[in-house]
This record gives sequence, C-alpha cells and structure tokens, in this order.
Amino acid sequence: MKLEVKNIKKSFGDKEILKDISFSVESGKALGLLGRNGAGKTTTIRILMDVFHANSGEILLDGAKFEPQKIQIGYLPEERGLYPKRVIIEQMVYLARLRGIDKKKAVANSKKWLDRLSVGQYEKKLLETLSKGNQQKVQLAATLVCDPDIVILDEPFSGLDPVNSQILKDVIKELIAEGKIVIFSSHQMSYVEEFCEDIVIINQGEIVLDGNLLEIQKECGKNQLVVSGENLSKEELSVLLNNQLADCIEVTGETKQDVIVKLLNGTSKNQLFKRLANIDTLTVEHFEIYKPSLNDIFVERVGE
Amino acid sequence: MKKFMTVFEFELISYIKNKSYMVTTILIAVIIGALMFLPSIFDMSDMLGIEQTQQQEDTDIDKEEATDTEEESDTFGIVDKTGYLSDTAILEQAFGNAEFKTMDSEEDLKKAVTNEDISAGFYVTDDTSYKYYVLNREMWDENQTVFDTLLSTIHKQIYCQNKGINYQEFAEGYESPINCDAEVLGKDAADNYWYCYALVIIIFMVIIIYGVMIATAVTTEKSNRSIEVLVTSIDSKYLLFGKVFAGTVAVVVQLALIVGAALTGYAFNHDAWGNKLDMLLDIPADVLAAFAIFGIGGFLFYAFLYGVLGALVSKTEDINKSVGSLQMIIMIVYFAVMFQLQNPDGIIMKICSYLPVSSYSAMFVRISMGSVATWEIILSAVILFVSIIFVGWLGAKIYRMGTLRYGNPIKISNALKALKQEES
Repeated sequence: MKLEVKNIKKSFGDKEILKDISFSVESGKALGLLGRNGAGKTTTIRILMDVFHANSGEILLDGAKFEPQKIQIGYLPEERGLYPKRVIIEQMVYLARLRGIDKKKAVANSKKWLDRLSVGQYEKKLLETLSKGNQQKVQLAATLVCDPDIVILDEPFSGLDPVNSQILKDVIKELIAEGKIVIFSSHQMSYVEEFCEDIVIINQGEIVLDGNLLEIQKECGKNQLVVSGENLSKEELSVLLNNQLADCIEVTGETKQDVIVKLLNGTSKNQLFKRLANIDTLTVEHFEIYKPSLNDIFVERVGE
Repeated sequence: MKKFMTVFEFELISYIKNKSYMVTTILIAVIIGALMFLPSIFDMSDMLGIEQTQQQEDTDIDKEEATDTEEESDTFGIVDKTGYLSDTAILEQAFGNAEFKTMDSEEDLKKAVTNEDISAGFYVTDDTSYKYYVLNREMWDENQTVFDTLLSTIHKQIYCQNKGINYQEFAEGYESPINCDAEVLGKDAADNYWYCYALVIIIFMVIIIYGVMIATAVTTEKSNRSIEVLVTSIDSKYLLFGKVFAGTVAVVVQLALIVGAALTGYAFNHDAWGNKLDMLLDIPADVLAAFAIFGIGGFLFYAFLYGVLGALVSKTEDINKSVGSLQMIIMIVYFAVMFQLQNPDGIIMKICSYLPVSSYSAMFVRISMGSVATWEIILSAVILFVSIIFVGWLGAKIYRMGTLRYGNPIKISNALKALKQEES
C-alpha cells in the first residue's frame, strides 16, 4: 500500500493552517511527521482521518481516492482520550465496534492487545485506577484493537518509563515488520531516528524538509567532519585548527566529544587528514564524516 | 445504523450502570408502590376520612368533642353602637368556641387588641358597617367573613321587621337551596386538573435533569479527550443521536417504572384508598398516551439542544453557562403552562400548543382539560417531530464543529456563523 498526501491546503477562517502539504508513505515503513507545536501536524492527521475537510488537494491510497471509512486506521492522539470511569475492556470493545469489528472479535482483540502490552490483568478495572504509564499502554492497545492497516501515533512514548518504552518499541517494530503503514509524530527525535526511514518536517503549515532520513543526514553533513585529539580538549583543538588550518577548514561547532569542521576551498578529506597528521602537537583520536542528529537538523530548519 | 446502535448501547449501559440512576429508579418505584398498599395493610380510614362503622364513629365523635373542649378558645372584644348585638351569645354561637367581651369605647377596644388582651375587636357603628381591629392578621383570618355573615343576617331581619315582612318565611322562600345534578358529557377540568398538574411538573423536571446529564456526557468526552478518538472512528452525528436516544430510553424506563408502580399499586388498592387519589392516579389511557407522545417529543427536542450546547464547551464546569438560556426558555414555558392550567382553551395555551418549545406540555394539557380538535393534535405533533428532525440535523453539524474546538466556550451565534462559513 502507498498512501499519498498531495497538495493539501486548509484554512480556518482567514487563517491558513496548511500550505500545500505533500508526502507519501508505504507499507512496512514508518514516516516521521515532525514539527513544532502548532505547525499543522494534528490538522494534517485530522484531514487524513476525514475529521476535517481540506480546502484543496487530495489523498490517495494506491492511486485511488483514500476513504478512511473503508480501511482500518489506528489513531493514538497526542491528547490521550478514553473514559476514566469506565471498565477498560468495555471501552476497548466499544472503540473496536465503532470501527466495524464484530463484538466477538472485538473482545478477542482487546484481550490480545492488553496482554501484549502487559496490562491484561487490569481489563476489568476502571481506567482511572491505573497509573499514567499503564493508562498510556491501554490507550495504545485501544489504538491497535481494530487491527489497523495504517497506524498513526502521536507522541506514543510520552509518560512511559524505560521498560514500558521498550515494550512499545518492540510493538512498533512488529507493526512495521507486518507491513503496516506507520505515521509517527513525536518531539523525541531519538525515537523517530530509531523507527522512521522517511521524515517530513512541517513548519508554519509548510513542509520545510522531507525525504529519506539517512540521505537527509548525509546531505546536511556534507563536507563536514568530526575531529578529536587524544591529548587536547575540544576548546584547545578548536584554537589549534583555527590557527593552523584556516585556509582549508572552518570550525562550525561541537558535538559531545568532537569538534565539527567544514571543508573549504575544495579541500578533500584525505588532504585534511594528511594536514592533521602533520601537526606535531596533535594526535588524531577520531576522524569521521559528520552525520548530524535529527534533533540538530530539526532545530536548524525550524528554529527561530 | 449498526454504529448508531453501538453508541446507543454503550450510552444506555452507562445509565444502567450509574448507581444513582438505578438506586433512584428502583427506590422511588418500590416506595411509591409500597405506599399504594398502605391502606390495605394499615387502617388509614381516619386519615383518609373514609366512612366507618357505627362503633368507630361513636368513638370518633367522643374524641372530637374532647378535642373541641381542649382547644384554646379565642376572646374577642366588641363595641356595639346599634344595640343589636348586646346579647353576646349570638356572637359566641356564630364564632363557635369564642368568648366576647363588651367594651365601652373604640379606644378601649384598640388598646385591648394592642395589649393582646383580646384576639381581635369589632366596632359596630350600624347594621351595615363596622371596623375590625386585629394586631397581626393571619393568612387565613376568617373572623371578618363570619362577622359579615352575622351582620348581614341582622340587617335582613331589621329590614324585614321595618317592612312588616315575616323574616322566617322570607328566608325560607328567598334563600331556598338549589339542587343540581351536574353531568359532564365531555371532560371535567376539575377532575383532570391535579394529574395534569403533576405530569406537567414531571416532564419539566425530567427535561431539566436529563438534559443536563446529556450535555455533561458530551462535554465530558471533550474534557477527557475521548472525543479525539471517537470522531476519528465514527461520524459525529451517530455520537449525538446515540446519546440523545439512550437518554430518552433511560427516561422512559425510569418514568414507566415509577409511574407504573404508582398506577398499578393504586389500581389494586383503589377501594382501600376510598378513591381519594383518583384526581392524581386515575389517569385515562388517552391522556397517558398524549403525555407519552408529546413528552417524548419534547424531551427529544430539548435533548438535542442540550447535546449541542454541551459540545460548545470544553469543561464540565462551563455547562451551566452554556445551557443557561435554554433552561430559561424551559422555565418560561413551565410557568406559562402552569399559570394557564385553569384556562386550557385560552389564547396563550393555544399558541403554546403549536410551538415545539412548549407543545410538549401545552398540547398535552389541552388534550386532557380543554377542547381540542384531532387535526390540531396532529398538526402540533407534526410540527414537534419535524422540529426534532431539524434540531437533530442542525445539532449534528454544530456538534461536529464544536467537538474539536477546545478553550473558551463557543457562543451559539458564533457556532452558526462558523457552520455557515464551512458550508460555503
């Protein structure tokens, strides 16, 4: 399956919320839908779910018009929403039945997912009696109870401890391996890097960056390298490089352990390595192509 | 339809599992049902004033006399300028258990009243006029009425005496009692009044209480954000319709159980009650049918409006603000119908019986107590049910628009404007 969002525009009154949004995602892949608060991610998801109607543009599934009612979609909203005062299994069965699953299967699916997420023992309890983390897991179970083909997860790791995060990671990896389309929205970039092959960054209703994450990282790190010296601190190394290699590199920043440098005037990596090796006061400890983190890319693209 | 039924079932279960709903329904039904059996279990004939055996009557008469003697007697003062009332025995007989003190002047009379030496005072200037003095007048003070009657009789006697007419003959001829055998061929408003009164109150209370419950159910889904998942799973109109119809069924079941317990219990113990509750509980089937049809219609009409108003706020504490205007309309309708209950064919009731906001009680009252043609009933029902469809349709649109808007309460006028913009 291939889900394509093409040239979506949406306004509320005079305010233009989405300006020509386009992206696509395929089965067995996860797409990271990123953006600052209020960028337009939730509106995009709601249009996808047919809660809002786009002013223009179209959504296609395998080339045909996408009709959300005809396909199972599991949606985990950022604003978690279940009934605190209702029995867990009852509301899960209810949500599954609203998605067209018959009662028997809804009960079976509910039990399956509650067990899979290690909250099966609470099925007859009221939701409000569970801890925040377990409520979060119940919410995820409710998202998956309809055996969705498309899974939309908005901040799924929020409120989970490391053990529960690992359970959720495993589940998401399983979903991707089963060939589901996964759209993943989060501000925790490390999770996005872990699961998503492709990303879309939306800023003020516009796509500012999209494509394959590795290629984006490669492109953003182009002509940049990280260097560290065995006998020098980052500050000392920066001063040294600026003094002795100013004709071929520029120090552009630092990582936790390295200094980031940018190649200038057509200098190749080999040439730089030789020049570094010739500096007597420096013993090169680390020399590698710089691959910026998604967090760095995000901040660079959407930061004020 | 399947999805509507799923929502309906879920919402109805939430009512059934609601302890206060179940306890209220069962407890009230059982208590009312049990009350109906009381006269069959205990002797309540005295309380109900039902005819008793001779022996019981004798005992009661003795008791009554004893009570009369024990009762504290009133003391009145009188200043009589005419001389007709110089014999206070006449006064004491007219006033029953009372003592009269003759006083010399109006001032003495006023002073005695002020000092609370006497309960009240009468200053009689001639056989057609007098002054009545009392310190604090009670709500149901009958002294004037009794004195008016007495003075009027004295006046008639004097008049007859002056004209040479025998008063006894005149009184027998002039004030002959009128015998009348009334036969009501249509409806007797006096008979229908009390159960109409009760049913109008019941439907008013039901709309107010359950309407707010429906609004709360909608707002709660917004405040706990479950609406986020719901609106992506199902068309929002099914959510609204499911809630409203579940609320309606819950109301009908509750009322049917409570009213049913009362009517059935009374039917079994009709004789033991000595027909004393006929005015409340002997409700003709056609009146009950009219109550059911117009009551359910009115409830549905308002339930949709409550649901929509619930969708316009995000916090349950804002509900009262949102539904205030609607509550006001319901209150106005209630008082309009109540004040016109004795005039069911008046112009106000006629107008109210066609308006969807008021026909649920006004038309029901007209059917029960007034004269109304069949075509009028049908027309009113058609207006009501078409209005329900319109309110349901419009409500579903506003509901959809309102459900995902959080923050400050949305005014209904702004909601309609937003809806218009969305449509265009």
